[in-house]
Amino acid sequence: MGTIKIYWALAMASMRARLQYKASFFVLVFAVTLFYAAQLASLFVVMSSFKQINGWHTGDMAFLFGLLTFSLGVTTLLFNGLQNFDALLINGEFDRTLVRPLNPLAQLMFSRFEASTVAHSVIGAAALYYGAKMSGIVWTPQKAASLPFVIVGGVLIQGGIRIFVNAVAFWTLRNAAIVHTVVFSGREFVVYPITIYNAGVRFFLTFVFPIAFINFYPAQFFLDKTGETLFHPALRSLTPAVGLLVITISLYAWKAGIDHYQSSGS
Amino acid sequence: MSPALFLKFVEVSFRKEIAYRFDYFVMILNGFIYVFVFTSLWRTVFAAGGGTFGGFTTKSIISYTVVAMVVRISFSMDDGLIPGRVRDGSVSVDLIRPVSFQLMNLAQSVGYSAFHLFARGLPIFVASAWLFGVRVPAEGLPAAIVSLVLAYLLLFLINFTTSLLAFWFVEIFPFTLLKYGLINLLAGGLLPMDFFPTSVRPLLSYLPFQHIFYSPSVILTGRVAPGNAPVILAEQAAWVAAFAVLSAVMWRAGRNKLVIQGG
Repeated sequence: MGTIKIYWALAMASMRARLQYKASFFVLVFAVTLFYAAQLASLFVVMSSFKQINGWHTGDMAFLFGLLTFSLGVTTLLFNGLQNFDALLINGEFDRTLVRPLNPLAQLMFSRFEASTVAHSVIGAAALYYGAKMSGIVWTPQKAASLPFVIVGGVLIQGGIRIFVNAVAFWTLRNAAIVHTVVFSGREFVVYPITIYNAGVRFFLTFVFPIAFINFYPAQFFLDKTGETLFHPALRSLTPAVGLLVITISLYAWKAGIDHYQSSGS
Repeated sequence: MSPALFLKFVEVSFRKEIAYRFDYFVMILNGFIYVFVFTSLWRTVFAAGGGTFGGFTTKSIISYTVVAMVVRISFSMDDGLIPGRVRDGSVSVDLIRPVSFQLMNLAQSVGYSAFHLFARGLPIFVASAWLFGVRVPAEGLPAAIVSLVLAYLLLFLINFTTSLLAFWFVEIFPFTLLKYGLINLLAGGLLPMDFFPTSVRPLLSYLPFQHIFYSPSVILTGRVAPGNAPVILAEQAAWVAAFAVLSAVMWRAGRNKLVIQGG
């Protein structure tokens, strides 16, 4: 119970820090939202020309985008403190977290509240809502109950990936470019249904770098798509399990990294 | 500014980038991801639609995607430079230098971009040409080179103009974000203008953005016949002139307004 109180205090402190300059924060939120809205607009441009991508229509695509973006919003809320993690290691600031009586990783969580969190959540929620409406999803109790689990699973996958690539920094110190590529550009693969790729890439996005579970597989379930293009129909409901697996592996990597860590001495 | 001095600035900025080259092959992978995602996407939708759309064939849209991405990567610019110098006051040193501020910045930008052209643009071009096949017809090259130079100047001036807002606003990051949002969507780096709904296309032709990546890429890939290129080049030149005037006016006004905080 005490730990949760500490988390809450940390989260509130980072939120207050960000909101010190309220006007400039809201201008930033507005700009970031427009920036990502332009990304969604480019998806609509593609759909306006081509109508469908392997049987995925505009509403389906919006829903696919919504699952990815909304879970990204929650992920950034929790894990943004890991951004520029290599800088924390290089300037020695990470060492402060080691001497406090709370898990170092837990201290980094919630520690950076960013405008992008608001932007992703708003755009993601809107895309989910309109995507579901346009593609005519019928919210059976089973589907409605599954949605939170799918989002949590997506957050665990994305959070786990962030922890994993940042754990690499315990060995290499600098890892900013790798993080950028894996965390931000990697995401581009699943903006579109992975059926556009050859079998090798689909296998990679399913079993090696399993980001297709964030949106592609669960979307099949919500949109009642038959699974002829899947490796196995059961994959459609495995998102929460994959999330747990990814976060477990990444926590092991993180622990191994901390055990290896010897501080930069600066 | 003498050409020799201009080249010196180019060289210094190029060398500075080499010094920070760590991870740069990861950034090659980064650009390559976009090429791969979009060539896969176009292959799929073009195959479903009978192999042609909006004047493109499957082959020509893939050439366009690769070329536009390589141009985009090679046009990398460091647009945090001027706002940073205004904020910390070091722009005052630039003011007393006996060289043109605009040309000095252009030279530094060219050096920066040249590094990204050689370190990232060319490797991605070679790999993509080998993997996906890229057609760049030789007869369009002279016009394409002129178009590329104009496009580079246009992007530089748009960045420069946005940077100058730092004289009036403490925080210009929101403007920078909006600029990138517009460029990502409307400059043709990922989506050619031909894929936009016909209702908005006339509007887009009144904006400068399509002349950054779309115009040089369609000329380079032969989507536009060399005979039709002069019209595009003239429009590009007009936009370059417009932003040159705008930035000159802003530079004058900003320089007079500038107050360097003590310390």
